[in-house]
Amino acid sequence: MFLLILVVLGLACGAFALAVIHVDRVNAWLWALPQRLRGRGWGWLILPAAAMAAAMTGHVHALAVVELTIAGAMVAWAPRLAAKVVPYAVLGLAIEGLILARMYHRGFNNQVLYGVVLAGAGSWRTNLVLPETAIFFILGVWLLVRVRAPGAGAVRALAGRWLDPRRGGISPRQGLFLLPVVALTMQLLGPGNWFGFQSVDGLDAAGLDLLLATAALVLLFRSRVWAATLAAAGLLVVGGYGLLKAAYPAAVPGFSYGFADLTGPRIGPYWVMALEGFVLLGLGLWLVPQVTRQHLAPPADPELAARAQQLTQRVQTLTRTRSDAVDTAAAELRRIERNLHDGAQARLVALGMSLRAAERLFPTSPEAALALVSEAKENSARALTELRDLVRGIYPPVLADRGLADAIRSLALDTPLPAEVDVDLPGEIELPVAAAVYFSVAEALANVTKHAAARSVRIVLSYAAGTLRAEVTDDGAGGADPARGTGLAGVERRLATFDGILAVSSPPGGPTIVVIEVPCALSSAKTSSC
Amino acid sequence: MRVVIGEDLFLLRDGLARLLSAHGFEIAAAVESAPELLRALVDERPDVGIVDVRLPPTHTDDGLRAALQARRQVPGLPVLVLSQYVEQLYARELLADRAGGVGYLLKDRVFNDEAFTAAIRSVAAGGTVLDPEVVQKLMTRGSRTEPVARLTPREREVLALMAEGRSNAAIAQRMFITEKAVSKHAAGIFGKLDLVPSDDDNRRVLAVLAYLDS
Repeated sequence: MFLLILVVLGLACGAFALAVIHVDRVNAWLWALPQRLRGRGWGWLILPAAAMAAAMTGHVHALAVVELTIAGAMVAWAPRLAAKVVPYAVLGLAIEGLILARMYHRGFNNQVLYGVVLAGAGSWRTNLVLPETAIFFILGVWLLVRVRAPGAGAVRALAGRWLDPRRGGISPRQGLFLLPVVALTMQLLGPGNWFGFQSVDGLDAAGLDLLLATAALVLLFRSRVWAATLAAAGLLVVGGYGLLKAAYPAAVPGFSYGFADLTGPRIGPYWVMALEGFVLLGLGLWLVPQVTRQHLAPPADPELAARAQQLTQRVQTLTRTRSDAVDTAAAELRRIERNLHDGAQARLVALGMSLRAAERLFPTSPEAALALVSEAKENSARALTELRDLVRGIYPPVLADRGLADAIRSLALDTPLPAEVDVDLPGEIELPVAAAVYFSVAEALANVTKHAAARSVRIVLSYAAGTLRAEVTDDGAGGADPARGTGLAGVERRLATFDGILAVSSPPGGPTIVVIEVPCALSSAKTSSC
Repeated sequence: MRVVIGEDLFLLRDGLARLLSAHGFEIAAAVESAPELLRALVDERPDVGIVDVRLPPTHTDDGLRAALQARRQVPGLPVLVLSQYVEQLYARELLADRAGGVGYLLKDRVFNDEAFTAAIRSVAAGGTVLDPEVVQKLMTRGSRTEPVARLTPREREVLALMAEGRSNAAIAQRMFITEKAVSKHAAGIFGKLDLVPSDDDNRRVLAVLAYLDS
């Protein structure tokens, strides 16, 4: 034994000498230690945890050495695993603390090093076992979530429910103060406090506390504001009691208060009592204005709520129609691109090739060259026709030239059926809306000529109360199903971008009426001479 | 024959001027905007004005409106309107004054310079020349309404070619019939459309108008 101490002492001296020689390096190493430890995750915490667990057994023995060796090896070679184990080690310490506190409560009085507290043997520090337990417990749970150890998900979910700010007008954390208030109240009202009992037979105070804490939690979930109100009132009363008892022990009845116990052999419970009372009262005072604000807040305005709902719906509609509009525009661009690519562009390439060939042929066979030139001419004419059709599909020239009324008239003229147009527009429609209405009417007319077997069609264009209305009525067979086919669905989407609607009435036997309504502004009447 | 050209794109204006000069036309003026065009048409009194529908300043139908305005100031002033697209609506407006001397063609028709110059001369002479595309659109409708419904298919074909500004001889050649047969059909058309005997050119215009109005 003496030899061992000698060896250890010698080693320590050698280490000290080395440290003195390499003081700079040691210094740097010490400074870098936190960084290095953090680099290994929180696994390094397993070392103090293991040390504390070893210390609790009272003496350093073989088991403690093994424990520390394993912990050190884990930190060195399996930091990830160490990090995962740490939360459970800390939680284990917390449970040990609970057991220890219970033992002290029951009369156990040996000296034990718990964490950093040397408790027992009648020392006032025994009172610190429970607070330290609480700290270990909180640290353990926090680490559990932090390092994502197994079981973190459940804790996170539970905490998420508690801490979710959407679940009420007041932060649920404030309502949580109800728990210590209930626990303390139970302690104060319990027989142990009045008669100085150490334990209550058959009815364990801790179990009762748990029951009440659960009840408080239920209240917390049902009404946060009331839970917080109750917590504030409770904190004021309980905290005030603690301060009063600490100041005038004789005037106020009771034996225990939180961690302070007047019946026990510990020294100095009064300052613990004062501290507890002070903290609780402070919390209560902090909570009161917040709770008051909650209660004084004006009740939800039903008008405001309705408006909020309206706006929400509006945003939903706009989101949908905007995405539709973007899709439609993208599809349209793609169609145009493809048309240009396969049509006019291809023709122009062919044109260039024909002309180049003609150029080569001119000296030798002018006739063949001539044939190529006329072919080129044909191609250019066709390219023009295709471009014209394309432009008409993008934006009808009459609409650009003359506005909606004439564009609709022109549409009617191009319809193979006799079409009557009745326009009553006091001004011009802005172009995007005009285009949407134009294409909608065009689609309706196309449907009439294709499906309705009508003899004539009538188009009425009018504007009233901020809404443009177009009506296409035919004298055909009726029975049109707007759900069938994609044409009208496309029209509906196109109109929806402008909050416009499309309605179809088509009883069997006719007449079929297609109504298009779009809310829009009207610019002043065109001052054209035509 | 003196012409005024109203076309805003330099390439086309220049090309038209060159093409027409090559065919013996005299270019009285070649302008690039609607106000200039109106002034040139009224001041120069050309034998025919060749007008692009879309012109500055607004780049909509300024050219067409200038041409119509010029015809209001100088009744019967022959104008040939060119455009990248043809609309029955514009054809109606051009023909509405029933004075003839109106042409309305796609710009593509310039490719065929013989037909194009023939059309210019026809318009200058007071005839009506509508683009085959307009006429084709006319053919697809109107057949169900009076009085055009009374026309036989053959007569309708003749009327369509008349609207395109073709002479009886050209129609005869196109339809593989004699010129006499064409005259017979024409008489039938005029009779059915209640057009009193008068100057043949004018009756042709009115026949086309009747067709447009159907």
